[in-house]
Amino acid sequence: MDFRNAWAIAVKDMREVFSSVSIYGPMLAVPLFFAIVLPVLTFYVTIYAAPSVISRISSLPSAPPILQGANAATFMRYFAINVLGPIFLTMPILTSSVISADSFAGEKERKTAEALLATPVRKSELLLGKIMASFIPTIILTIAVFAIYGAVTNTFAMGSFHEYILPTAAWLMMILASPFLAIVTIGIVVLVSSHVRGVKESQQISTLIILPVLIMPFVSILGLASLTVAFFAYVILLLAVMALALFYVSVRTFRKDRML
Amino acid sequence: MRESVLLKGVSKRFGKVAALDGVDLKLKRGMSIILGANGAGKSTLLRCIDGLYKVDTGTVRVDGIDPYDNDEIHRKLALLSDNYALYDYLSVRDNLKFFGRLYGLNDSEIIERASSVLKELDAYNYMDSKVFELSRGTKQKVAFCRATINNPSIILLDEPTAFLDANASERIRKYLLRKEREGATILFVTQKIDEVTRFNSRIFVIKKGRIVAGTDSASLYKSMLKDSYINVRLARQISSSRLSRITGLESTNGRNTTYIKVRISSSKDINLVIRELLDAGAEIAGIDYTEPLIEKMSLDGER
Repeated sequence: MDFRNAWAIAVKDMREVFSSVSIYGPMLAVPLFFAIVLPVLTFYVTIYAAPSVISRISSLPSAPPILQGANAATFMRYFAINVLGPIFLTMPILTSSVISADSFAGEKERKTAEALLATPVRKSELLLGKIMASFIPTIILTIAVFAIYGAVTNTFAMGSFHEYILPTAAWLMMILASPFLAIVTIGIVVLVSSHVRGVKESQQISTLIILPVLIMPFVSILGLASLTVAFFAYVILLLAVMALALFYVSVRTFRKDRML
Repeated sequence: MRESVLLKGVSKRFGKVAALDGVDLKLKRGMSIILGANGAGKSTLLRCIDGLYKVDTGTVRVDGIDPYDNDEIHRKLALLSDNYALYDYLSVRDNLKFFGRLYGLNDSEIIERASSVLKELDAYNYMDSKVFELSRGTKQKVAFCRATINNPSIILLDEPTAFLDANASERIRKYLLRKEREGATILFVTQKIDEVTRFNSRIFVIKKGRIVAGTDSASLYKSMLKDSYINVRLARQISSSRLSRITGLESTNGRNTTYIKVRISSSKDINLVIRELLDAGAEIAGIDYTEPLIEKMSLDGER
């Protein structure tokens, strides 16, 4: 495999995505907006409604022990990680699915795949290039979003509680899980893209991947699972195995004519 | 000399449609043309030769190699398809650099080769334009440049002059004739008989996914002129009454006419009509013919 070919494909795809603000604008604006707004909302919930929210969650049969008799600072720490964290974990899924669907199904839809496949590029180079084209912007955006969300949360926490809430080990593990989530999402989109006609159908798959992530806050509040370092370590391990399996299956099953 | 391209019993289906049905074809160096109507299987044939499609049955060999399983063969192959296949939001320069790099060329080689072809096609001024800003004809020229950036020895072309003006079409033909002299194998598919007859090449006619005849320009003229029309343009007006004795006259464009349509059945009829027109005092500005439908043409030796 010639890495230069894979890199040429990745650079070309990234240049296409970032060639027009109408393409990348909405993709960047929404996560950045939420990175600011959600921590601000969390702060106001903490200040004005923490006692009543804590008492309601605590009344659940399997309520998380950390919330028993918790103060506002503990509540904000809990909320920032267990509720906001999983919401921000959807960013690598959404971003990578949008770019990768465009990257693969887009070549088919815009009829550019034929010229690309007529070059001596190998399928492993093509797949790696396309994966990098989705992965690199996704990871940059995800780290930026987590950094903004952490900074906004800490700014409010320092002002009101005179302490920094983030980072915690679990929060850092959550960030560490993001690249694996992105890779698995891209792998699934790649597999789906070769069987669908266009970008829209390909993007639909992301909604299926987001669902388990969006369940995580509820699972945490109900006390069914705790979003701890160990939890994320298992998640990362599972995602890593899935990512490897998906890349292997993608290379094995990829057929040039399905991109036409 | 071994065949550059060899197809044996090649079939390719899309659902219930047989795009290719047992195609046998041998191509050596030089230019060959596949003539066929829309949907006859021309584009599918090129894609099978280029290794983009896996054939259902039969074998395809390009320089003795199966192009579907061996990507390296693309270093000497070029495919210009019926869509221009360029990235709209990238500039012409970036498109060409991207494709050139995939052939292992460095940027200075790419720009040197691209500049030469684009200058030849009168499209060099668009080097830094985004593709979506270009006209269809200019996109076609850039696509031609992209397809040939690797200086290929086997060139597959799908209607390469479809969107081009007469001048640009002529420049493409000159380029192809030069490549032919240099020893390249060129396969050109088209549905235009006029395009075919501009080259003195081997001609294969494809109908419903089958190669039904191998022919040449002379035989093709014979077949197409069996029951056809010519349109004669006159340099100055002439009274229709003076043309009434023209053999096979079908119509004129007025009492004092500059255009007539004549039914013919062979090339001899064309010569006869010209003589009759000259005798009637007409001054001929040009003659063209109405191309018959390929699928309705009956060719000598058609299988």
